Amino acid sequence: MSERFNRITPEILAELREAVGAGNVVAEDADALESYASDEAGIMYTSMPEAVVKVESTEHVSAVMRIATRHCVPVTPRGAGSGLAGAAVPLRGGIVLSMERMNRILEIDPVNRVAVVEPGVVTNDLCKAAAARGFLYAGYPMSTETSFIAGNVATNAGGGRVIRYGSTRRHILGLEVVLPSGSVLDLGGRIRKETWGYSLMHLVIGSEGTLGVVTRVTVNLEPLPGRTINLLAAFAELDSAVAAVAKVVRAGLPVVSCELLDRVSADMAASHANAPLPCQDSTDAYLLVQLEGDSEERLDDDCERAGTLCLDNGATEVFVAESRTESAAVWGLRQNITEAMRARDPYCSLSGDIVVPLSAVPEMVGEIRRAASERGIVVAILGHVADGNLHPTVFKPEGMTPEEWTDCAEAYYDDLTAAALRLGGAGSGEHGVGYVKMPIFLRSKSPEELEIMRGIKRAFDPMGILNPGKMPGEGPVL
Amino acid sequence: MRVAVLVKQVPATEDVRIDDATGTMIREGVEAELNPLDLHAVEEAVRLRERFGASEIVALSMGPPRAAKALRSALAMGCDRGVLLSDAKFAGSDTLATARTLASGLRREGAFDLVLSGERATDGETGQVGPAVGRILGMSPLAFVSAVESVGDGRIVVRRAVEGGHERVEAPLPAMLSVVKEINVPRLCTLGGRMRARRAEIPVVGAAELDISDDRLGLAGSPTRVVRVSYPHVVRKGRVLSAKDGLDAALDEILGVLESRGIARGGERA
Repeated sequence: MSERFNRITPEILAELREAVGAGNVVAEDADALESYASDEAGIMYTSMPEAVVKVESTEHVSAVMRIATRHCVPVTPRGAGSGLAGAAVPLRGGIVLSMERMNRILEIDPVNRVAVVEPGVVTNDLCKAAAARGFLYAGYPMSTETSFIAGNVATNAGGGRVIRYGSTRRHILGLEVVLPSGSVLDLGGRIRKETWGYSLMHLVIGSEGTLGVVTRVTVNLEPLPGRTINLLAAFAELDSAVAAVAKVVRAGLPVVSCELLDRVSADMAASHANAPLPCQDSTDAYLLVQLEGDSEERLDDDCERAGTLCLDNGATEVFVAESRTESAAVWGLRQNITEAMRARDPYCSLSGDIVVPLSAVPEMVGEIRRAASERGIVVAILGHVADGNLHPTVFKPEGMTPEEWTDCAEAYYDDLTAAALRLGGAGSGEHGVGYVKMPIFLRSKSPEELEIMRGIKRAFDPMGILNPGKMPGEGPVL
Repeated sequence: MRVAVLVKQVPATEDVRIDDATGTMIREGVEAELNPLDLHAVEEAVRLRERFGASEIVALSMGPPRAAKALRSALAMGCDRGVLLSDAKFAGSDTLATARTLASGLRREGAFDLVLSGERATDGETGQVGPAVGRILGMSPLAFVSAVESVGDGRIVVRRAVEGGHERVEAPLPAMLSVVKEINVPRLCTLGGRMRARRAEIPVVGAAELDISDDRLGLAGSPTRVVRVSYPHVVRKGRVLSAKDGLDAALDEILGVLESRGIARGGERA
């Protein structure tokens, strides 16, 4: 516990209850608080909050921030807790500010093609509401059924449609942000271009709750595509799968998603779903490719071209999933893969999120496998391969203590991050730095870049009460 | 052995809307797909060929011209030929008229040893058409089949899912099987299968080519009348008990409710 911050006293609790209502404040109930002590980074990364405040409005957030500033109490904003880097873990205790009760879709504006939502709206609920009005919200993190929209903003979440539609940053047009002082910024709006000073909105996107608290989000909506079709291509060699990706992507096909599952991931996903994948015994890697289009005839042609390109580049067989049932089955495997991995090993580390240029993916995959084999650990590789974004996941060997394992996994990811940086990539494509990756993050950035980041942090949050211990950091605390 | 599979194109939606005036489903503006439960029938037909050999698998459907797409899905999974029964005179068919039409379509294609269908269609939800076709054609009607154990020497042995367990049944061929979804996991079609299916000719057979008189087809041949459409009203009322005054108090309240309805008897509480 840092001495810089104050503990939450009964008097502070009384102020919080007065400000947001007693029913919205959780404290002194260890069981209830524990649910807010970690995120999907795993049970190795846990720190208990002193209180959880479930805000219902921007006014609530302002009031809580004023109280926290007055008493110098740390505040960690939290969405659904589906993050994989520990960004929502309250490292210094204090208040966890939960957005779960700010979950209304405020407006779908067809003329300006935007939706205005509260921060706690589940991503998939926004997608469904937009689709009902003929629009696509193009964000598609694999946690779409649980993650909150503001969590997507905080991590600049990527996911399965980045190759066509971009990361969350591309979908955000406006943000309402509460500063630690309690003041409210209204950034951006229902406009698609703005050259009107530094973009504070884009600083807040991807800042992982370290600069301000997002209380309202205006998102861009795209026209809903008429149809989608999915190809599942089986490859006997992972390298040929990666080589095929480059060919498919540059063929000018309407590729929405291009997911890679290596043998280990595919086996775990299939066994968890109790549904074997076709050709599983002879396959080293699968590509799951989704195409979209409005014309059935054209989409059929595109499907045949993409599938033929895979077959010409080493696929042993290509399967097609088109109906709702089939699409849900193949994408369900991909979406539930982290659950499958956790079911196999609660200590598995899902922090791998490196990104490299597509041309460097084969070399990166080699590094991922080599570094795992040197340590004698099992690695499963999956990822949004067309973006060069790979998620290597490692599993705790029998007999290793959880503490030894945390060190082992972190050292492994440090090696991978170093390799990714050497190959022209980055340590995280979409999960963020959180605190799991703070040490390597700090080592990888130049002093000049870090100093500018710290200046930005001071400008937004002079007392450093927002999500302390995270970016741009004084170093990890736990 | 010759095998036929009956398939139906259904709206690709979980949100089925009914026209209150006509009592029929609103199909306009809704994407269509092969009835998900028929996928299991197609899969089983292909597996039966792999296990016991079959000279031909024919997929048959009755529907509007666009239902040819459902037949293409069946061809992509491994059926050899598709036949579509389509005619304005078939419109408004109930399950009896549909079964007559399909049975006539099958007779036109020659003798089959096995005819398979899904348990029911996800739109009509009756589960009657498959077994009715079996009766009309004088085949052994075997409904709710969950496994085919053997086929040979003019006989078939299947397991049927019945309330509380399974029933093992032996019947003479030819037989009509409606299969439950537990019978298999349908395969994904291959790209090659899909490409062949996309280019396949699907013959369309009209009323004039069937051996049924017009008064036994479509609305005219359907004794079923929709008199009124009503929706179930949910009258259950939930109550959420809070444990904020302690778990014991909440448990006492639950027990009180159960006792008041005669579900639990009062007594010593541990």
